[in-house]
Formats: sequence, C-alpha cells, structure tokens
Amino acid sequence: MTTPRRRIPAPAVEALLLDTSPYLSCDECFERLDTYVEATLADPAHQDVAMRVHLEACGACAEEAATLADLLGPDG
Amino acid sequence: MNLVQPVTSEIDDAPDEAWVKELTDPGPPGHAAQRHLHAVLLRATRHQVWRLRHQLPGAGSAELEDLAHQAADDALMAVLGKLDTFEGRSRFTTWVYKFGILHAGVAVRRQAWRHREVPLIDTFDPPDPGSAPEAYAQAGDLQRAVESAIAVDLTPHQRRVTLALLVDQVPIDVLAERLNTNRNALYKTLHDARQRLRASLRASGHLEEPTRGSTP
Repeated sequence: MTTPRRRIPAPAVEALLLDTSPYLSCDECFERLDTYVEATLADPAHQDVAMRVHLEACGACAEEAATLADLLGPDG
Repeated sequence: MNLVQPVTSEIDDAPDEAWVKELTDPGPPGHAAQRHLHAVLLRATRHQVWRLRHQLPGAGSAELEDLAHQAADDALMAVLGKLDTFEGRSRFTTWVYKFGILHAGVAVRRQAWRHREVPLIDTFDPPDPGSAPEAYAQAGDLQRAVESAIAVDLTPHQRRVTLALLVDQVPIDVLAERLNTNRNALYKTLHDARQRLRASLRASGHLEEPTRGSTP
C-alpha cells in the first residue's frame, strides 16, 4: 500500500513509548476489575502494579474501571 | 429519559449466595432471579451509555435507551454463561456490573464508528529533510526517532495496529471487529510494538526513563 508521508503527532509519541510492563492482558484485567475497583474504593492506597500499568495503557479498560468506580461510589 | 435510574435496594441487598443459586433454578424462582439480574445489568449499561453519549452526538434518548437494553440482553447471556466462574471475591453486583459496562461500552464505540472508515496502514513514510524541510525542522529529535523506528523496527501488522490505535485513535473494539480479532490480541500486538520502539530508542540514545500515556 502506498501512503503519503506523514508526521506522528507529538502527543502520540508519549503513548507510543509507554512502558507497559509488567504485561497484563485485557482478559486478565477484566477478570480482576471487580476486586480491584472494590479494593481501590475501600483503600485509595491499594496497590496492584500490573492493573495500574494496564489501565494507564488501555483506554477501553480504563473507561470501564472508571464507570465501575462511578457506579459503586456514593453517587452511583 | 430513563437512563441512569437506580434499581431497587431489594436487588442490591439480596444475599449473593442465594441469588446465584436461584439463577440456576429452572422454575419460577430462577426466572425471578434472572429478571433481577437483568435489572442490575440495565443499571450498569444505562450508566455506561450515558457516560459515553458524547460519542453519539446525533442519538436521541430512545436510541440510547435501546442501546442500553441491547447491551443488557447481551450481558445477561454472558453472565449466565460464566456464572460458575464467580468466586465471591467481590460482591455479586460488582461482578455483574462489569459485564454490563463492557457490553455497553463496546456497543457505543461500534455504533459511533458504524459508518466511519478505519484506516489500516501498514507502511509508514515520515517526511525526509530534502522533500519537506519545514516539517522536518519543526519536529523534535525524539519525534523523528520515533517515526524512524516505526518505519524500520515494527512489522507491518504492528505498524497497522499501532498507527490505528495510537495515531488515528480508532477504538480497540472497533479495530478488533474490522480485523476479525479481539481486544486481547490487539493489546498484545501493541505491547510488543511498544517494547520494540522503546528498545530502538534506547539503542539510539533517545530514551532513558519510562514514559506513560494511554490508548483510546
């Protein structure tokens, strides 16, 4: 396929260089999402590095986590 | 509008074990338990559709409500199919909510991109200094190094997935549908591509510290 020469937008550079280790798949994130959100709401200092890294790297999973936290929160 | 209405406290307060057990009952108790389950799922799907409604600017209340109901129907089947995997590590309603949220999010994103073209570009040609001197001069050194690594170090499939997700902002569920794959496989491809880009930029002296960002 022939494509025109193009630039990578500066904001995309940061996303392209994101360190997504330790690796966690979207399926594994989904499996742990309920317990992770409950634990985080109960203790904002709760740590799960693999989940945190995945949610920083995957917009769709992050959106789902935010919605679940919203539903479980005081205004949900 | 009926979106984002709370369900009754009776549903939320039902003991998890009794509710899960009733869901497998083939008689009237099972039917009632499934109606309760659908109501909880509808609460989650309405909530997610409402949060993502900006992605469907032309949609009215009826269309949003229809999306929420369709997603709740699909999520109901998913929950019933995975009921034996619920281990009680969270509240049952929390576990159920995540299925509703997943199905509603996928439905909204696919609806939003239903008539949009998804760019699938597996080659990448950054501007060179001779043909586009102004554009070349405006880009930073890191940006040019990333462009070079995309062109040289990624496989065609990694380029196609990475450019679609991170540059053209195609939602991962939409791209998965167009490529006949799934979110899991695309995220793994993206992870591997990022590893290659980071290794390339470390080798060229452009990268030292970890950097954080997000996919659509």
